[in-house]
Amino acid sequence: MHIPDGLISPQTYLPALALAAPLWWWAGREFAGRVGDEALPRLAVFTALAFVLSGLMLPLPGGTSGHAIGVGMLALIFGPWVAFLSHTLVLLLQALVMGAGGITALPVNALAMGFLGAWTAYLLFRLLSPLQAEFAVFVAVLLSILVSALIVALVLGLQPMIARAPDGSPRFFPFGWSVTVPAILLPHLFIAMGEAALTLLIWRHARRRRWLQAPVAGEA
Amino acid sequence: MSLSHPARLALYLTAVVAVTLVHLPVPLLVLLASILLVSGRGRIALLLRAARPVFWVLLLMSSGYLLMGWLTNQAVLDTLLLINLRVVVLALLTAWMMRDVDLDRALAHWPRARRWLVIVRGQLLLFLRLGRDYRHAQRSRETVPPTLRQRFFGSAAIGLGALDRGVHNAEMVTQAMRSRGALDD
Repeated sequence: MHIPDGLISPQTYLPALALAAPLWWWAGREFAGRVGDEALPRLAVFTALAFVLSGLMLPLPGGTSGHAIGVGMLALIFGPWVAFLSHTLVLLLQALVMGAGGITALPVNALAMGFLGAWTAYLLFRLLSPLQAEFAVFVAVLLSILVSALIVALVLGLQPMIARAPDGSPRFFPFGWSVTVPAILLPHLFIAMGEAALTLLIWRHARRRRWLQAPVAGEA
Repeated sequence: MSLSHPARLALYLTAVVAVTLVHLPVPLLVLLASILLVSGRGRIALLLRAARPVFWVLLLMSSGYLLMGWLTNQAVLDTLLLINLRVVVLALLTAWMMRDVDLDRALAHWPRARRWLVIVRGQLLLFLRLGRDYRHAQRSRETVPPTLRQRFFGSAAIGLGALDRGVHNAEMVTQAMRSRGALDD
């Protein structure tokens, strides 16, 4: 669900950068405190895996693209702060290596997918895992993707309202919420189910290998 | 005069922000032509590389907006020209930066960022190679294409195997780097 460069206005990405920068700084502190030398290689591998998962893209009419994100997986294995930082690197690499997403759109993409996606997955998992851990993984990842998709749809749909020429024509993304919300959310419902199943498979494997940095309730 | 790689990176970051402040098609068209002119040999390949990732998004968005303009009897061509040009110019700038900026050298002042970039890039190559090997191995062993169910189970097994191999490989690289003092900063 990357937003490419050129579709969102400076009125959007500059405040997003102002919000994301301190969060990146704080995530960096958390990262230094939580990720030791022995976990760094694992994190690099999972970051690469998230890159591969989110590299399979399907363009959507809402001005973005549909694909797995991988941030739920990162949040459930390494915790939300590390997942946010790690997913920002994924977004940066995708923008630079594949031209997907972009530099000006990076703060918005990072906040929508990396920050909100990671925290939604993590908090829902914490809330639901006492019931049944695997059910919690599935629901947490599914809903975290839908939350991220909704934020991306809202940000894109906001553009014609806040960035217009004097004659009223849009200067950046031209469609409002009535188009962006259904066009982005509906395909992501199916993508989210697929990614939730995939994350569950990987999470089970990570638990067997004792790689979980964000442990399940009762297993800490 | 040749600019240093950190300077090129800084120039690129400034340029992408500046382009989003331009709201007229003509300066963007001039900028597009100038970039193509200045970028030197391989400019057509550069343009194609830049256009490929944004092509379908722009096509879908533009056709939808054209249809909406036709149905509501509004003039939308100027708006579409502006948006399409801006997206292509930004994509071209990124493709140019990727071709002519060595990120390892540009990030020389941030050793941790560079180290992470190196490890992640190494893992990416590993995953891509494993995926390609898996496809080739599957094609060479099957006389009929695998069913969807077989593909799912096969991909899951090879994916988890690749994950183990990736983690093992990354741990070996880190240990090798540590033993050579590369992690002492």
